[in-house]
Amino acid sequence: MGQQPIQQHLYDYEIVKKFSAVSVIYAIVGFLVGVILALQLAFPDLNMNVPYITFGRLRPLHTSAVIFAFGGSVLFATSYYVVQRTCKVRLFSDFLSGFTFWGWNLVVVLVVITYPLGITQGKEYAEPIWPIDLLITVVWVAYFINFVGTLAKRKVEHIYVANWFYLAFILAVAMLHIVNNLAVPVSLTDSYPVFAGVQDAMVQWWYGHNAVGFFLTAAFLGLMYYFVPKQAERPVYSYRLSVVHFWALSFLYIWAGPHHLHYTALPDWASTLGATFSIMLLLPSWGGMINGIMTMSGAWHKLRTDPILRFFIVSLSFYGMSTFEGPMMSIKTVNALSHYTDWTIGHVHSGTLGWVSMVSFGALYHLVPRLWGVSIYSVRLINFHFWLSTVGVVIYIVAMWISGIMQGLMWRQYDSFGNLSYSFAETVAAMHPYYVFRALGGAVFLVGALVMAYNLVMTVRQAAPAGQRVAA
Amino acid sequence: MADLKDGKTTGHQWDEDEGFPLQEYNNPLPRWWLYTFYATIIWAVIYWILYPAWPMVDGFTKGMWNWSMYKELQQDLDDVAAKQKPFNDRLGKMSLKEIASDNALLQFAVSGGKAMFGDYCAPCHGGGGVGVKAGGFPTLADDDWLFGGDLETIQETISNGRNGQMPAHLKSAGGAFSDAQVDDLTQYVLSLSGKSKDAVAVARGDTLFHGEAACNSCHGDKGDGSLKGTLAGGPLPPVGAPNLTDAIWLYGGDLQTVRESIAKGRVGQMPAWGTGTTNRKLTPLQIKQLTLYVHSLGGGK
Repeated sequence: MGQQPIQQHLYDYEIVKKFSAVSVIYAIVGFLVGVILALQLAFPDLNMNVPYITFGRLRPLHTSAVIFAFGGSVLFATSYYVVQRTCKVRLFSDFLSGFTFWGWNLVVVLVVITYPLGITQGKEYAEPIWPIDLLITVVWVAYFINFVGTLAKRKVEHIYVANWFYLAFILAVAMLHIVNNLAVPVSLTDSYPVFAGVQDAMVQWWYGHNAVGFFLTAAFLGLMYYFVPKQAERPVYSYRLSVVHFWALSFLYIWAGPHHLHYTALPDWASTLGATFSIMLLLPSWGGMINGIMTMSGAWHKLRTDPILRFFIVSLSFYGMSTFEGPMMSIKTVNALSHYTDWTIGHVHSGTLGWVSMVSFGALYHLVPRLWGVSIYSVRLINFHFWLSTVGVVIYIVAMWISGIMQGLMWRQYDSFGNLSYSFAETVAAMHPYYVFRALGGAVFLVGALVMAYNLVMTVRQAAPAGQRVAA
Repeated sequence: MADLKDGKTTGHQWDEDEGFPLQEYNNPLPRWWLYTFYATIIWAVIYWILYPAWPMVDGFTKGMWNWSMYKELQQDLDDVAAKQKPFNDRLGKMSLKEIASDNALLQFAVSGGKAMFGDYCAPCHGGGGVGVKAGGFPTLADDDWLFGGDLETIQETISNGRNGQMPAHLKSAGGAFSDAQVDDLTQYVLSLSGKSKDAVAVARGDTLFHGEAACNSCHGDKGDGSLKGTLAGGPLPPVGAPNLTDAIWLYGGDLQTVRESIAKGRVGQMPAWGTGTTNRKLTPLQIKQLTLYVHSLGGGK
């Protein structure tokens, strides 16, 4: 830290800076909308009868803001940083780099405008209407060319493992996005999907599950494979394990989607395949956790002084926990209890807050001082953020576990005559206190992100007087 | 892990110019990891053999256990139906009063009625029939009734629905009375439950109530409602006009709400759950169970 690396002129750091900066903004916006939604669920009057901020319109804004705007920007930033440094070359094309930045942000802006107006195609995590989908496709192809082009002109013989994961993510997301959004437009804002009925549902969840699999898992494993060894200053634990779990993960994940549609019109056989491939996915998923955690062995003492490593170890723990929970929930009989309940919401957030966000925070704390060539403004604030995040996630998921399992049990509770014991409204009333706790957990997590933003802004401001850089 | 090969990496190195260079050990796959992975694969294969699993050119592999989710569902439904059949058979044949005096059967009816109430009735009447004042939905858990709380009347109410019509009285709302007159009527109505302090206005309201406004033709001469009140000594038509003397209010008993009721009128609609061809939602058997449940809520007569 502190030194001005000679490669500053060689590598394109400006694009990494830009994506890092917007990722922090999008994190705060996405978390804030999440907290508002959590409060609306606890206190429905908070939508104030304004259609633009009703739950149905804000919810996709929340998911898209956190997954695609925040998560996506982190992945653009880190993949562009990692691929340059591990290939020892500048990104393939400055034009394409800039194009992906402005294109991706244009997508975000269009999403922020259309969703509150109720202009979506109604597919979960794939809500943008077809013109935005086309824009996403173009941006994504540019990303692919830029990334592969950089790999192609690398000055290092071997491709580092982080880049395999990033590349798998880029390829898989391209395929998922295109197939799930195949539609016939009928106007500027409307279209009909080419698939119908249960096939449409299956394609949607093939997409939806692998968005989790490749966007939120594979890609962030790529991030982990660079930042954890770099920060821990230890070699990766096992090259062999990384190869095996990479291919096993990529092959098995793509089958797991049907577990989102157990006990629906989806045929039994598809349901079985989804469940069994989900179970087989457990150990390949854990391969990443083992490699990450074992990489830190020999550097455990650093956890006492380095809050960035703490972010990494806790994120890997949440990763391990939620990738155990997921396969378990995909078993039909467990799913019969968990599906449609808050347990699912808790599961998703242990993955997205505990794993994705926390590993991203760690990466940003590693990245920002190096990009701007300064030291971090405050290590104590990183530590404070770490505790806010950890406590926030724990409150959140514990509330959702209790509420979700209670909800599932109440739904299926029969009396001795075979009649349902509880009405739906009674289950909703029973969940209220947990909804309040969930909002509290989310708010604590949001405060943590604000602390991070302050710390990073103050860090960057240390570099500003030097005036070596042109503002983005 | 003891099997760390100290210092021995794959020999590859990346990003060595700044900070710690990226390197990789080549530790073997952890045994527990590998064997557990194999175990999940074996589990999956066994699952495929037992359950429907792989699509074929013609259909799919059915699995040795010949399981399907529809069969499982049907089995569950059949089990419940078989358990309920003897009860339902007797429920169909017996009158409400006979059921009410047969403890086991009554429990069964109340159990079914409670489940149905949660789905169909609670959205307006509240869980457990506690009522929702903001919408004028009556409490079913007390013994204050608009149309009657005996078994037959409750059954009638659920089957055919009810219409409660309180006309508007204020001129601007389509009625025939001035603001001042509506104020007087309000004071009189409040006085019936001892809540008015304006004796002069009450006196004027009293005259209107029993005269020009003819409130007594529905609410009775004493204002104690169409159910138990009287008009000139005779019975009142069963219009569901509430008792105004008991401090139990359908919409609210504060001055403003009472005035609002008088000025603009109220319309209360209970849908018909058993009659008509388009609106038929519940079977007579279900309505019987619902009736017994509502009757059991605390106010049944």
